[in-house]
Amino acid sequence: MVQSALIVMNVRILILFVCVLALLAPAELSAADLPPRSILYFNQSDLRGPFYYQIFSALRSEVSADSGAHLTLYVEDLDLSRFKGEAYESGLRDFLIDKYRDKSIGVIVAVGGAALERVLKWRTELWPNIPIVFAMVEKSDFDRLKPPPDVTGSIVRLRLADAIETAHAVVPHLKSIVLVGGAWERQVVFGNWKQEIQTAAAGLDVIDIAGLSMAETLERVAVLPADSAIIYSATYADGERDFSPPFMALSLIAEKANRPIVVAAETFLAPGGIGGYVLLPDVIGNEAARLALRMLDGTSPADIPARMSEAVQPVFNWRQMQRWGVSESSLPPGSQVRFRDPTFWETYRWQSIAIAAVILIQAALISILLHEHKKRNDAEKEARGRMTELAHANRQVTAGELSSSIAHELNQPLGAILTNAETAELILQSPAPDLVELKEILADIRRDDQRASHVLERLRGFLKRAPFEVRDLDLNEVMREAFGLLAVQASARNVALYLQPAAGDLRVKGDPVQLQQVILNLVVNSMEAMSTIPYGRTVIGRTELNGGSAAIISISDSGPGIPPEKLADVFDPFFTTKTQGMGIGLSIARTIVQAHRGRIWAENQAEGGAVFRLSMPLALH
Amino acid sequence: MPGTVHVVDDDASFRIAIERRLKMAGYAVATYPSSQQLLDRLPDENGPGCILLDVRIPDMSGPDLQDRLSKLGSTLPIVFLSGYGDVATTVRTIKAGAEDFLTKPVSSEQLLHAIELAIARHEASRGRKQKLDALRSLLDTLTPRERQVFGWVVQGKINKQIARELGATERTIKAHRQRVMEKMKVRSLAELVSIAERLGILAEGASGQG
Repeated sequence: MVQSALIVMNVRILILFVCVLALLAPAELSAADLPPRSILYFNQSDLRGPFYYQIFSALRSEVSADSGAHLTLYVEDLDLSRFKGEAYESGLRDFLIDKYRDKSIGVIVAVGGAALERVLKWRTELWPNIPIVFAMVEKSDFDRLKPPPDVTGSIVRLRLADAIETAHAVVPHLKSIVLVGGAWERQVVFGNWKQEIQTAAAGLDVIDIAGLSMAETLERVAVLPADSAIIYSATYADGERDFSPPFMALSLIAEKANRPIVVAAETFLAPGGIGGYVLLPDVIGNEAARLALRMLDGTSPADIPARMSEAVQPVFNWRQMQRWGVSESSLPPGSQVRFRDPTFWETYRWQSIAIAAVILIQAALISILLHEHKKRNDAEKEARGRMTELAHANRQVTAGELSSSIAHELNQPLGAILTNAETAELILQSPAPDLVELKEILADIRRDDQRASHVLERLRGFLKRAPFEVRDLDLNEVMREAFGLLAVQASARNVALYLQPAAGDLRVKGDPVQLQQVILNLVVNSMEAMSTIPYGRTVIGRTELNGGSAAIISISDSGPGIPPEKLADVFDPFFTTKTQGMGIGLSIARTIVQAHRGRIWAENQAEGGAVFRLSMPLALH
Repeated sequence: MPGTVHVVDDDASFRIAIERRLKMAGYAVATYPSSQQLLDRLPDENGPGCILLDVRIPDMSGPDLQDRLSKLGSTLPIVFLSGYGDVATTVRTIKAGAEDFLTKPVSSEQLLHAIELAIARHEASRGRKQKLDALRSLLDTLTPRERQVFGWVVQGKINKQIARELGATERTIKAHRQRVMEKMKVRSLAELVSIAERLGILAEGASGQG
C-alpha cells in the first residue's frame, strides 16, 4: 500500500514542521508576555536647568546599572513652564502621535504634575494600556487628577508650612515672610502655596511680591524689614526675561536680598538659598527609575499603589548659615548641611599631617635628648656620690693605719697633763705652796687639754663625710702636716722619711683633707712596697714649681719599682699586688687629683725605686 | 738616792712637766729636745744618772742612740717612753738593752720607780767601772817584765816554770812577783787572779803574753 506510506510521510513532515516552529517560537512567545524595553520620559520643564537635569540623570544611571537587556530611552521636554495654551498643547499632541506611531513603548515616566496631566489626557489616543509611572507630583495635583489604577508613582508634599518652619528656624524672632517667585497662577510646582498662605502664615506679616518683574523684585528685596525671611518658590520668567533655569533668577535675588532666603529645591542652595525642606532631584529620579524597571519586568502597576516620596528632606547651606549667624542647633532635627568650607585641616590635610609629624618627631627627639641629659646628670651625681663614699671609706682605712700616730699625738698632751696634775698635788701638800708655780702648772694643763681636743678635731674632720671644700692652701704646709702624721708609721716600719719642700709658698686651691689623703695614700703605698726590703727603706717627699703655673709633689721610694707595663694600671681601682688591702688607695688618689684639675702619674727612677708625681695648677691672683 | 735625769723629748710641754715633777722628787734634771743635742752635750758621769728618752724622736731612733752612747763609752741606762705601745718597737728596744719601757701618760709612781731602779743600776755599774778603771791604772804602772810575770802567775805557773819561760833566774822572777803583788795592792794570789779575770787578762793568757 503506497497510500499509507505517503500519509505517514506527511504526518512526519507535519510533526517536524511543528517542532521547528516550536523551536523558533520561544523568544517571541516570552517577549510577548513582557512589555517592550523602552521608556518614554516626559519632563514637564526642560533639561537645561540643573534640577530637572539631575532628575533625568539619576534615572538614566539607575536604568543603565540595571543588568537587564538593552533599554531604549525616549525623552520629551514639554517645557510647560514657559509655553502654555491650547494651541501649543494640541500641536504637541499631534507631534507626538506622528513621532511615536511606529514605536512600541514599555512604560511612560511623567515628571511633574503638569506632565502627568497632559499624559493622562493624551493617553487614550496615543498609549492606551501602557503603564505610567509619575514622579514629583504634588499631593494636591494627585488628588485632583485621580489617575487610574495602572498609573503609579511617588507623591511629593511641598508645604508652605514647612518653608515657614524653616523661616522660624533661621530667623529667631520671625515677624514677617516675604513671598518671592513667579506669579502664582503660573507656578507649576508651587501652585498650591497660594491656598496655604492663610493657614500656614497665621500670626506673621505676609509680604507677597511674587509675580513682580525682576527689576522690581530686586528693588524690593534689598530693603526688607528686620526679622523677616524670604520664601522663594521659583521664577521662570518675569514677563520681560526668561529665567529658565530658575536658579539664575535666584542668584540675582540672592545678590541683592538683605534677608535669608528659604528655598524648596536642592539646586537652589548653591546660588544663595539658606535651605529648607527641599526636593532632592537624585532621589526623585531614582524612585522613578526603579518603578519603571519593575514595570518593564512585568509587574502590574496596579500592584504598586502610589506612595509618598522620600525626596523631600531638610538641607541647608553652611555658607549662608555663617552669613546669617544661624547655628546648626537651631535647624530641624535630621537636617543635612552642605557646602561646609573645608577646615584648614581638610584643605591642607597632608601638609598638616607632615608638619605635625615633623614637629612631633622633633619634640620626641628633644625630649629623648633631655631625658638622656638628665640621666647623665643623675649618673654623674651618683658617681660623685659613690666616689665620696669610697673616699670616705679609704679615709677610714687610712685613719686606721695612722691610729698609732694619732694615739701618740694624744698621749703627749695627756701625759703632760697627768704629770703636771700630780706635781700640783704635791705642791699643795707642802706647808707653803708656791702659788706662782701652781698657776704655771694650771696654765700648762689647760693648754695641753686644748692641744688634745684639737687633735681629735682634726681626726674628726678627716673622717667625716665632708663634701668637696675648696680653700686656699700652701702645698708645703699640707705636705708637712701629712708627713707629720706619717712619722710614727715610718718609724714603726723602719722607714726613713724625708721632706724636701720647695723654697717659696706653693699656693693652690683645693680641699686640704682630700689632698692630705692623697699624700697619705701615696706614702703608705710606698712604705708597703718596701716591706720586702730588709734595710735602707727611704721615702722622700718633694715639692717644686713647674714653670710658673703648676706645682708638683713627688713621693719617691727605694723599693723594687713598678713593672713598666703596669705604670698606668696602678691607678686602676682594685689593682693591688698586696695580699691584704682593696687596691683603691691609688685610684682614689687619682680621682681626687683629677677633681683638683691636676694629673698624677708614676715613674721608675734610674737609681731604683718608684716615684709618684702629681701636678696641680697654681692658684693665680 | 739622788742623781741626774737626762730628759730627751721633742714635746716641750711634756719635757717641762717631767722636769717639774722630777725636781720635786729631788733629782737634778737636764732636758734636751733631740738625741743629737744629748750626744753633743754628752754628760760626764761623775754621779749617778739615767736617760729618759721618747721613742719617737724623729732624728734618731732609740736603739740607734743606745748604740752611739755605748760607742762613746757611756754607761747611762735608758728608760724609754712612748706615746704608743706597738709591739714591734717595744721588742726591738728591749732586745737592744733598754732599761725599761713606759707608755705615756705615765703616773709619777711608775716613773719614779723606774728612774730609781735605773739610777741604782747605774750607780752599781758606775762603781764597777770606777773600780775597773782604778785597776787598769794600777796595771799600767807595771813594767813590761812585770806584766809578763803577772800573766804567767795568774795562770798558775810556779816560779821555776816562769823562769825557764822567760829565760831568767828563779830568784829574779820571785822579785818580780813580789813587786807585782805590791803594785796591784793585793796580798794573795787569789785576789790577783780575781783582778786578772776582771780585767780580762785571764782570757788572753792562754794565747799571748802582755
